[in-house]
Amino acid sequence: MDVLTLSRWQFAFTAFFHFVYVPLTIGLSLLIALMKTWYLRTGNKHYDDLSMFFMKIFAINFAVGVATGLTMEFEFGTNWSEYSKFVGDIFGAPLALEGLTAFFLESTFMGLFLFGRGRVSEKVHTLSAWMVAIGSTLSALWILIANSWQQTPAGYRIVETAQGYKAELTDFLAAVINHSTIYRFLHTVNGAYITAGFFVLGVLAYYIIRKRNVEMAKTGFKFAAVFTLIATIAQVIIGDLHGYEVAHTQPLKLAMYEGKFQTEKGASLDTFAIIDQENKQATPIIPIPYLLSFLSYHDFNAEVKGIIPLIEEYQQKAKEYEQMIPVLEQKLQTATSEAEKQSIKDQLTEATVKAHAYNIKYEDLPSIFLVFTTFRIMVYLGFAFVLLAFIAYWKAKKGTLENSKGLLWILVLSIPLPYLAGLLGWISAEVGRQPWIVTGMLLTKNAVSYLPAEQVALSMAVFTTIYLILFGVFLYLMFKTVIKGPASSLASEPIPTTTPNPSLTTTFSKTKEVK
Amino acid sequence: MPMELFTTLNGIWFLLAGIFLVGYSLTDGFDLGSGILHIFTKDEDIRRIYMNAIGPVWDGNEVWLIAGGGMLFAAFPVVYAVSFSAFYLAILIVLWALILRAVSFEYRNKKESKTWRTAWDIAYWIGNVLPAFLFGCAVGNAVMGMPIDEKGIYHGTFFGLLNLPSLAMGFVSLFMYLMHGSAYLMIKTEGKAFEFAKKGAIVGFLGFIASLVVADFFIIAIKPKLFANFFDYPLLWIAPILKILGLVLYFKYLVLDKKYNKVIYGSTITILGTVLTIALASYPVFIHSSIDEKYNLTIFNSASSNLTLTVMLISTVIFLPIVIWYTAYVYKVFKGKVSTEGGY
Repeated sequence: MDVLTLSRWQFAFTAFFHFVYVPLTIGLSLLIALMKTWYLRTGNKHYDDLSMFFMKIFAINFAVGVATGLTMEFEFGTNWSEYSKFVGDIFGAPLALEGLTAFFLESTFMGLFLFGRGRVSEKVHTLSAWMVAIGSTLSALWILIANSWQQTPAGYRIVETAQGYKAELTDFLAAVINHSTIYRFLHTVNGAYITAGFFVLGVLAYYIIRKRNVEMAKTGFKFAAVFTLIATIAQVIIGDLHGYEVAHTQPLKLAMYEGKFQTEKGASLDTFAIIDQENKQATPIIPIPYLLSFLSYHDFNAEVKGIIPLIEEYQQKAKEYEQMIPVLEQKLQTATSEAEKQSIKDQLTEATVKAHAYNIKYEDLPSIFLVFTTFRIMVYLGFAFVLLAFIAYWKAKKGTLENSKGLLWILVLSIPLPYLAGLLGWISAEVGRQPWIVTGMLLTKNAVSYLPAEQVALSMAVFTTIYLILFGVFLYLMFKTVIKGPASSLASEPIPTTTPNPSLTTTFSKTKEVK
Repeated sequence: MPMELFTTLNGIWFLLAGIFLVGYSLTDGFDLGSGILHIFTKDEDIRRIYMNAIGPVWDGNEVWLIAGGGMLFAAFPVVYAVSFSAFYLAILIVLWALILRAVSFEYRNKKESKTWRTAWDIAYWIGNVLPAFLFGCAVGNAVMGMPIDEKGIYHGTFFGLLNLPSLAMGFVSLFMYLMHGSAYLMIKTEGKAFEFAKKGAIVGFLGFIASLVVADFFIIAIKPKLFANFFDYPLLWIAPILKILGLVLYFKYLVLDKKYNKVIYGSTITILGTVLTIALASYPVFIHSSIDEKYNLTIFNSASSNLTLTVMLISTVIFLPIVIWYTAYVYKVFKGKVSTEGGY
């Protein structure tokens, strides 16, 4: 394999594993802060115990999240140095701001929350939970600003430097609030709320099944059910808005999401389809007429562009830029003022870069099947979450949770599903923007570092080993913490004597918990 | 030239990059130092105390590295891109080591078995020693010169990075962190753990001076031009003087006055002086090309646009003091000696 393929796999692998840990921290931090605040408001000690318990879960995720996040930050330089040179002027800033405004806040106050009990007042303790929540949300914001800029670049110009071409910042706000930032931010963060919501519901359902800390678990369950229900319903609305935005800014991605090879007026939404990438066609299964046009453009008769016409359109665009080059060069000769010369030079640079970037062929496209399928499963999961959250909320409200063993078990087993939805969503979003790493400006194949392939193969092997071990450690700690359960500070609820896996717990109880 | 450091955005950012390096060295530096010392004692209690001493803070300290990396990316993207791809394996080894450190922190005490703990102790030690050593090596390569061409593409090998001068600099940073970590542990511990940290401080101090002499010898022998800045602008001598002052204070508090809580002032000033000295010697170059000086990556040819530098400067001026303020607050909350008990 060549450096490009290896680097792509390595980046995909490390990003995939990073995003196993991150969503829970974003969502959980808000739930923890809310629970802690509810404790201050109501005086119900259950909320306090729960917030303390889930912060431990947060800490495990955060530690692995930081370690794997460091990898992501470094990989832009190590494996994608040509990319980093091209976009550093714009892309670097949000990454730096993430560290400065978010990570310090998150890690410092997490330490204060976990270790500071008794050293600070309850108000400061609650405040630190909020600081952690604000930190993790800001962190998501900066990263999604950076990601969104690659998808829908704005506020830049292209210049030529000694080390090659680069995008230079011209308008900070335009770059930050580019076309897709807000939708992507809301969609991703709300997805994290759903992940955390179902995680908390699943864990508490487990305690109810095992009859441990039942009162505490029921209190928390109801709280989390409201939270999760709101988030799942909101996701349907946000998801629709995000799709609407993609239709306008990244039509090629939309066409791949929907498996549309040809342009259609009044396009149908296909429940599923058989994608035949080689023969450039798709066979829809249970199509719902007009729905795609309506969802994408809020007009039943709107035209949804297909993959093949879009590729032709981009090639046409590339030709137009190509033809501009000699014209601009001639203009440069006759230009008189310095300002005019500079402006023509800028146009020339942009034309050169874009003539290359838009010259894409059908063969450059990623697996359309992958984009199509991952997108669909994510959407269907999203609707299933609304239903599940509603049932959970209903049963909690009626107070019949303990009798609904079936539902409780479904909730326990559903814990991985929002993770899956999030990962599938990222696969469709990131694979769906190929072959560009920066839409319309830089092709992924031109972004990779000049490296010996053996080194990347070696690093890929080490990453795989370390990350799998890390994942094992992570699961072990999570299971152990969950099985151990929250410490109840109410005397009426004794710590249970029976636990599902005595062989594990006896080992732990002997050791002093030192961290 | 020294005026450019304050009058141009690029110069200010060069200083700020230095500040982040100092910030990292001062905070995570003592974590690394404590981790280096860790394995040299066989006493389980001391090992546990040393880990507890940094338990609440090491995660936050590592953020300095993330923030610093981000700052380098934002302000000097070419330096970031060139150095990270040239140091490919070295950077990833540091990364893996840091991951190993994080995992052993979580894992070491989860099982009451001697073999288990010893295995994680070794992992933990490697996780601290490798970053501490390789940071110095990286700086050594950057200032001594490495084969990069006009497009900033590295033409050397991984083992080419392990040359003698850079190895010497690796030992400089290793012992520097040991000095600092031991000074921190002397504040946070008592009894036998304290006594052992004192030994670490002495070893760190002597090792630092010895490796510094060797590293300076290499610089004089191979690249005497690195001293040129100091002779052109005598004001810059303030940096090496600071380094020596730090060492004098360290020795004074540790050996003469026996004011062990103050030894950390010595290592703090030493770190500040050491980073400043190497930065000002190299100024305005970040990475020296051994192919041709024309290809040096300087603060001018590898920086972001003025707009980006301005936006980042404003953000840093606003947020960095806030970060330092609440970090200081949390350290104050956790003031005092630690024991083998702890955790949450």
